[in-house]
Amino acid sequence: MNCNTDTLYFVALFPSVSHVMKAEKLLIAENLPIKIIPVPKIISSDCGVCIRFNFDISDRIKLILDQNFEGIEYRQL
Amino acid sequence: MKHTIDARGLACPQPVILTRTGMKDHSEIEIIVDNETALENVKRLTESSGWDFEYSSSGDNFRINIRSKDIVSENLAGSKQTANSEKNDTIVVFSSDKMGSGDDDLGSILIKACINTITSLDTIPSKIIFYNSGVKLAAEESGVNDDLEFLHSKGTDILICGTCLNFYNISDKVKIGTISNMFDILTAMNNAANIIKP
Repeated sequence: MNCNTDTLYFVALFPSVSHVMKAEKLLIAENLPIKIIPVPKIISSDCGVCIRFNFDISDRIKLILDQNFEGIEYRQL
Repeated sequence: MKHTIDARGLACPQPVILTRTGMKDHSEIEIIVDNETALENVKRLTESSGWDFEYSSSGDNFRINIRSKDIVSENLAGSKQTANSEKNDTIVVFSSDKMGSGDDDLGSILIKACINTITSLDTIPSKIIFYNSGVKLAAEESGVNDDLEFLHSKGTDILICGTCLNFYNISDKVKIGTISNMFDILTAMNNAANIIKP
């Protein structure tokens, strides 16, 4: 995020926006601090949204997402 | 002679409208209000118009005294325009906590991405306004608070409809921006060169 360059962020990329909507609900239900952002232009020029999260909770997030979805990609920002 | 406006018992935005009307014909006014929101609204109006502002509280009431800095009553429109032209004159209006109409779940995802994208624009808006369910975006756990704080730190004014916060019962969850009223919101929209309404 613009205001903090020290934090290490990851994004999860989904096959469709419906997946993002479902994943957001799942992760918020687990009280995990995530953020919906547009897919960064350096990753894709397509219009899309993805889920951003801090490195320190990335293991928990990946575990939940991989249990519930297929075809998710993770990128470091 | 000092003009007196008794605005006790009047709902927002009446006190501020009465004050503004009074400022056209008088250079010194006493306004009596019975709530803090009205006090703050009158304060903002007088300060943005370059008037002196002071108040004292007695019981539940506030006695506000305002005085034109130029003894001859100045034209308000002139001083407002100068203040506005300093910044990029685009304002963004969130009248809903969804972006567009159609699927609500999609709309709430889109609006989060939208607010995050505003932080990356070349020129940030001078004001962001929230009303009706849009005020939910300004609440703490909306998921966009860090973006709003960032914009606020860069000089964007954040105006949030107080009536709407009360209606949705989330006044205590909003820690950012200014609780605003119909008059200030319409004035901002009226003075803006561009309005973005996602």
